[in-house]
Amino acid sequence: MPQHLKRLVGVFAVFIILFLILHYLLTPSSFGELGHYRAKAIPENELKELHYAGSEQCSKCHEDIRKDKAIGFHAKLKCEVCHGPGLKHALYADQFKAGQLPDSLILYKPGERKDCSVCHQFNAARLKIQFDTINTSMIHQVNSIEHNPFDKKTKVEFKCIECHNPHQP
Amino acid sequence: MRPVKPKISRRDFFKAGTIIVGGITVASAFTPYDAVLIAAEKPKTGKWYGIGIDINKCIGCGKCASACKQENNVPKAPFYFRSWVEQYTIKNDGTIIVESPNGGIDGFKQSVPTNEIFKSFFVPKMCNHCAKSPCVQVCPVGATFETPEGIVLVDENYCIGCRYCVQACPYGCRYIHPEKGTADKCTLCIHRLVKGLQPACFEICPTEARIFGDLNDPASKVNYFLKNHTCMVIKPHLNTGSKLFYNALSSEVR
Repeated sequence: MPQHLKRLVGVFAVFIILFLILHYLLTPSSFGELGHYRAKAIPENELKELHYAGSEQCSKCHEDIRKDKAIGFHAKLKCEVCHGPGLKHALYADQFKAGQLPDSLILYKPGERKDCSVCHQFNAARLKIQFDTINTSMIHQVNSIEHNPFDKKTKVEFKCIECHNPHQP
Repeated sequence: MRPVKPKISRRDFFKAGTIIVGGITVASAFTPYDAVLIAAEKPKTGKWYGIGIDINKCIGCGKCASACKQENNVPKAPFYFRSWVEQYTIKNDGTIIVESPNGGIDGFKQSVPTNEIFKSFFVPKMCNHCAKSPCVQVCPVGATFETPEGIVLVDENYCIGCRYCVQACPYGCRYIHPEKGTADKCTLCIHRLVKGLQPACFEICPTEARIFGDLNDPASKVNYFLKNHTCMVIKPHLNTGSKLFYNALSSEVR
């Protein structure tokens, strides 16, 4: 073998060994266990913090409201749909007396007109008859301005919850 | 220079050629190529998550979009979404209007007068958790992947933020997280799944328009949904193996 080829083989060998060392050092340990990715990324994703508790948690303390709600149109609605995520509230609220909850644990109490109109404001896309045999109900839609006009003198808007109980509308 | 006499005779050359070509033809007949719409075979064992969304039931309240943002700490700015709702309005003259003000979180206002509307409907959108994801295929470092259960995840610690996947996703379901600088997307709330809870958007949907379950389990909700409805995926021609099935999906939806 000529001298220059021998040198070239040597250089290549050095590069290949260097590549293998770097490849070994830079590849994370769990890479390739399940595929072309770090297998440990799955448990890392699973460890994220939760925020929504689920309605079973709510009825542990608020059984009266669950009973109220069970016979109304909103029976199928979960509490957190309107009140927002409540896992922290569910976990820590019983450590405080009623009325002394810190602000961070108090859940949102929807009472404004916009809270109701998110679902019940008239919209052509909401006008549907549901053919599903289980759920035959249509959602109640109103034009909130016509249905419940502003006070003519003071221009104050009346809230929906002044007439409707949201737990039993 | 004299022409070199070939080592193989013409007769032998044709013989070998015929055997190779014929062999490949016969072999391909025994292992047929997957039809275009069947992107990937699902695993026979274990879970294989799928999603069903009933467009007829969606009332466009946007609670899924806001629940997703709160559950997963998605930035509040109105252009970062893992899950959002679009309103499609087809006017009598055929023009299609697509609206999604803040992903639907603040509710929808009907922008077209009722007498001009031919039809209108809401389409909740989220990651399709494709079985042959374009976003996974383009990732240069292996930072995004499909889990054995069929969930497409991002490895935040490994992502280099090159944005290839954001461009590759045909459904627009990825964004670059402004603080982390890495790609971010729907995880199907895998942190809730492992605790036996439903993903936040499924938990919160007031009309149960969203159904979620194991496609491998014949008794699961999503299989019941698929059997009883006429379902379709978005952009089936792209062969992504999407596992998000819509009932009553109009051809206008892109």
